[in-house]
Amino acid sequence: MMSRTVSQPRAAARRAPIDHGRWVPALFVAPVALYLLVFQGYPLVQEFLLSVTSTSLLSPGQQTYVGLDNYRELVFDPEFHQVLRVTAVYTLVCVVASIGLGLLAALLLDGTFRGRGIARALVTIPWAAPPVAAALIFVWMFNAQYGLFSHLAQFLGFAEGGVNWLDEPSFALPAILITTIWQIFPFSSVVILAALQGVPSELREAAVIDGADRLSIFRAVTWPTIRPSVALLTLLITVWSLRRFDVIWLMTQGGPLGETNTLVIDLYRRAFVYLDLGRAAAVGIIGLVVAILVTLVYFWLSTRAEKAAGKR
Amino acid sequence: MKHNSTARTLAVLVLLGVAAFPLYWMLVTSLTPSERLFDATPNLLPTLSQIGTYAAAFTETSLRQWLINSLIVAVGTTVLSILLSVLPAYALSRLTFNGKLLLGFALFMTQMLPEAMLVVPLYDIFTKLSLLNTLLGLILANTAFTVPVVTWILKGAIDGVPSEIEEAARVDGCSRLGIVLAVVVPLIAPTLAAAAVIAFFHGWNEYVFAQTFISDDALRTASVGLASFVGELSTPVHTVMAVGFIYTLPAVVFYLFVQRYVVAGMTTGGVKG
Repeated sequence: MMSRTVSQPRAAARRAPIDHGRWVPALFVAPVALYLLVFQGYPLVQEFLLSVTSTSLLSPGQQTYVGLDNYRELVFDPEFHQVLRVTAVYTLVCVVASIGLGLLAALLLDGTFRGRGIARALVTIPWAAPPVAAALIFVWMFNAQYGLFSHLAQFLGFAEGGVNWLDEPSFALPAILITTIWQIFPFSSVVILAALQGVPSELREAAVIDGADRLSIFRAVTWPTIRPSVALLTLLITVWSLRRFDVIWLMTQGGPLGETNTLVIDLYRRAFVYLDLGRAAAVGIIGLVVAILVTLVYFWLSTRAEKAAGKR
Repeated sequence: MKHNSTARTLAVLVLLGVAAFPLYWMLVTSLTPSERLFDATPNLLPTLSQIGTYAAAFTETSLRQWLINSLIVAVGTTVLSILLSVLPAYALSRLTFNGKLLLGFALFMTQMLPEAMLVVPLYDIFTKLSLLNTLLGLILANTAFTVPVVTWILKGAIDGVPSEIEEAARVDGCSRLGIVLAVVVPLIAPTLAAAAVIAFFHGWNEYVFAQTFISDDALRTASVGLASFVGELSTPVHTVMAVGFIYTLPAVVFYLFVQRYVVAGMTTGGVKG
């Protein structure tokens, strides 16, 4: 395209006004805008419209308008309260544990030591493994009779005949959390490790000379540099946890007794197990509102933090 | 100081053990004779003579077809995501226009939408467009979820390109599109590669759409094929683990090779954006 412009001055002259025209941005943005409208916007509107109807998966054409009934019943449904509780616990533990573990790993892998390159590469293995494969291997490791964790529990004398981890209400969510955290902590570690490269080494050295201990160096020098990355990780992992489907669905399908039934799993169950598209859509919309609220709080907090940092 | 470095080495080894063990265990399980899988004490080392399981994984399941389908979906998602994202990324970085904020917001919103939530309406749309039960349908659905991320990362990289470089090309009579393709794209090539990897992995890993939109066995992807073994008892455990390992290993090896670029690309995007 460029060569033609150079060799044909007339074409260039014709094209020149385009650059100043207002429709260059429109042209650049139109394809993606159209695409997102068709494959995200329209389905979202459809989903919202479904949420105010009573519709069965068996006859999706027959929709009865019910107003806010689906939402009203969810609000008063104890099972849905459990869904919200499970989602909150799952999300919170995912965020705290995977960032904590990621930070620990990043601090370990920072600095110079032999084999650093290989160590940094190997630690990301879980992040690169497909979630379905991760679910499969952990289902096997959590197998009640022959799984490694049962062998371990027996060896340590916790349980005589193995533990039915995934069918035991008090163990299922921890088992899912272990799987998820194993998968995502490398992401936190990689992001924090990259941020650590921005810690001014002179500052750290000066602090060491001044006799500061490690914890105060971390608080005064390291933490301020990596804080924005940790904040971003908090947002990303929260949103991902609210969306996660494959690992949970394949390991427990939301059971036992709803103890791993997060919003997305509940939505899928209502649609494809109970065939209740209307109620499922309402669950989805509620989940979306939760995600948006979380994001707004994040932005509110981060602008406030930025302002505070600016004042100092 | 000596004591310090020993402690660190130990801690690093523990960390790497935790990270790598489940995949190692997948490999060990796949290489354990089936009658020994249920021993009272687990076999912690692979039995190398069991390597035939890997041949069986291909003959006893449709693994070959699944992998091909996953590859098609992953490559398609990558190409389409990049094609769709370069220009809006440029527009978000460089141009001022009405609705810029709205576009940014819309891109961000898609990050909130769980795939599972759009399964029902997308199923409906794909039925109307005759895209149900096609790999193209999967590519289109996946791309809707990768485009926002890819656009955002590319925008960050374009922010870092000095605009003087573009102005020089503009003086030479280049059109906007020409500038983007001939000047900007080569400069952000590392980030482009990183974004491509992210889109590729999304396509390779995707499960819920592939599970719901594909009913034809010949069009199943590896994620769905592998998932079909969970809770199913007729396929031997070591064969299942072999399938899982074959599906996982190329992804992990590929990632280890490109990781350097992904991290560099993502962090330039993140820092500048």
